[in-house]
Amino acid sequence: MTKFLAIVKREYLTRVRTKMFIVVTVLGPVMILVFTIVPTLMLSIKTGGATRLAIVDESGRLYQRVHDSLLNDRDEDEDIVASDKATDAPNANAPDQTRRAPAAMKATFDVKPEVQIAGRSLVAVRSDLDAQVLKGQLDGYLIIPKNVLESSEVEYRGRNTGDVITSSQIGNRVNRAIRDQRMAENKIDPALMSKINQPVKMTTNKVTETGGEKDTGGGFAFVFIVGFMIYITIIMYGQVVLAAVVEEKETRIAEMLFSSVRSFPLMIGKLIGVSLVAVTQFAIWGLVFAAFMLWGVDALSASGMSISLPHISASFFIYFLLFFLLGYFIYATIYALVGSMVTTTQEGGQVAMPILLLLIMGFYLGFTVIRSPGSPLAFWVSMIPFFSPITMIVRIVTQTPPLWQIALSLAIGYATVVLLIWLAARIYRIGMLMYGKRATIPEVLRWIRQA
Amino acid sequence: MSENGSTLKVSNVTKRFDEFTAVNNLSLKVRPGRIFGLIGPNGAGKTTTIRMIVNITAPDEGTIELFGQQITPELQDRIGYLPEERGLYKKMKVIDQLRFFGELKNVKGKKADEAIDRWLARVKLSEWKNKKAMELSKGMQQKVQFIAAVMHDPDLMILDEPSSGLDPVNQELLKEIVLELKAEGKTIIFSTHQMELAERICDDICMINRSNKVLDGTLREIKRSFGRNAVALRIEGDGERVLSDPTLVTKIERRSDEVEALLSEGADAQELLRRLVAAGARVTKFELVEPSLSDIFIEKVGETE
Repeated sequence: MTKFLAIVKREYLTRVRTKMFIVVTVLGPVMILVFTIVPTLMLSIKTGGATRLAIVDESGRLYQRVHDSLLNDRDEDEDIVASDKATDAPNANAPDQTRRAPAAMKATFDVKPEVQIAGRSLVAVRSDLDAQVLKGQLDGYLIIPKNVLESSEVEYRGRNTGDVITSSQIGNRVNRAIRDQRMAENKIDPALMSKINQPVKMTTNKVTETGGEKDTGGGFAFVFIVGFMIYITIIMYGQVVLAAVVEEKETRIAEMLFSSVRSFPLMIGKLIGVSLVAVTQFAIWGLVFAAFMLWGVDALSASGMSISLPHISASFFIYFLLFFLLGYFIYATIYALVGSMVTTTQEGGQVAMPILLLLIMGFYLGFTVIRSPGSPLAFWVSMIPFFSPITMIVRIVTQTPPLWQIALSLAIGYATVVLLIWLAARIYRIGMLMYGKRATIPEVLRWIRQA
Repeated sequence: MSENGSTLKVSNVTKRFDEFTAVNNLSLKVRPGRIFGLIGPNGAGKTTTIRMIVNITAPDEGTIELFGQQITPELQDRIGYLPEERGLYKKMKVIDQLRFFGELKNVKGKKADEAIDRWLARVKLSEWKNKKAMELSKGMQQKVQFIAAVMHDPDLMILDEPSSGLDPVNQELLKEIVLELKAEGKTIIFSTHQMELAERICDDICMINRSNKVLDGTLREIKRSFGRNAVALRIEGDGERVLSDPTLVTKIERRSDEVEALLSEGADAQELLRRLVAAGARVTKFELVEPSLSDIFIEKVGETE
């Protein structure tokens, strides 16, 4: 037991004392925030100021309305249309950005005076305007045909039609102008119409066992952050285990160790020592987060910034730890196994590639689960031990499944851990004493049978 | 400590790796308080034998008894093992590494720190105590590893090629320490392919070649049984004619300033000396030579091939 504790202690202390640990502990949350917020910011930053637009109005009646509508961004229904669009955007990496996007991404327009056709043909007007766009005097222009009220077709020509945010807003605002024109021509009072069109304001409330609670959208970001954190930390600490095993093999310390202690406590001691480092890191983050919830939020609200944090129950922290440790022990055991088979860390990285892919798959499955946490697919992927550390925690956060499902998932998972450790320990000792070349799969299978 | 007369008893041990037999039917006995040399060329099976003794791997056949008992993990604590392939944790301080290796042998706290300080002083590394292993030279690292093998005061020390990579000054220091340990009553197994070194410090020898034992016994007995009639001599003047007489000398080996002559069957060294003097040669050196371990080894290995 002394020996086992000595191994745990060494693994723990040598890592917690490093500068790297402190750096990761401090920068970790910053990085996660950056990963979550930066994509949103990047999309919302539109450099170069307002979009300069010209309008060719063949109908001769619509210029003023379109002009006003483009300059007026305070329209209720626009947001709904825009956010529908944005939710469809296939950007699974930062789901929360889609929720904030509409507010942040309002384009501004600089509408030029009406283009005078003055008897020229449409072709001539176009080539004139195209030239202006190419020269950079304009960003784009709209052509409103004579029969627009019947055909409902408007043409937009611009330099950057790839900027879907700007063009969809132009579309929305032109649409609004033309609708107003139609109402006017059919003698419908716009005031009445806007009253009829008053959008429904929907508040989203999550139903939980403790009663309904308000979900302000922060919950979605929170799910993402939780999934991401488990994913990243498993990779990070898996690599740590890999490097530690390879170091002992490369430097031949293994031989020294095996002359004092059996391979089984050695491997377990290593896995547990490193897991304690991860738990320490989570504890620090958790405490900082809790402190922030207690005092930071009030302080920020006082200074005018309102932040809404999702309500997190204490049971969540326990689940998080249980599923993180499950994922850690599954993947770190495999990494330890790989480490004992290879000769260098680089080689280990290559051999561990398929395992990493499995983990990435789990991460992406997490997104499927977010959208339908109660589906049969979500159930099955949260029972598979290689995926459950991410998928089950996502389910717990989004729509807590029945307790028996969580318990079953944990039972399957930890049974797998025991099996993997049993398997790895048989290979570990032989692998660690084999120098010079990488072990092949048939060799490893033979070791398992022989050990 | 001297349970039934031997510290270590290896009986009919065989170890195979797939088709390859690394150790074949090996038996040996190591007596307490002696330095036992396990010698043989690289790849002979020395390291495999040692790994079985320290319980890293198990023999396929045969038994190993340590201190009169079947080897167990607990008995490992009474062994100090310096493997041939050595390493330290690069980024750990010397003191932390030694404390760790001490704990692995159930030595901790003040007792461990005292042992560490004493040994660091003995190998002249005290001022490196708080440095990381990567800052040390190869030779220094080797001395730290030696401390890791010896700090828990083991009854049996197994040193696998301990002097490879050490400069002459440190080789001498190591030899001194090994002899001190012997004087304290420790048993030492010394594995090497350097016959000269083994010859200088070992009491008993076991020679292995190609997985098989070729010879064992005390150094003195072995040498006696291999006593050849060889003479190292330095002469001035006319002696060449005497040396070329085939009834006296079968083979001459010339060194820089002397000659080694192997006497013929039945010839007497005394007779050779008389004939040389009679021939008018001036003899400045005349010495009967014992065969060296490496001569014996070459002869023994030559026989088996």
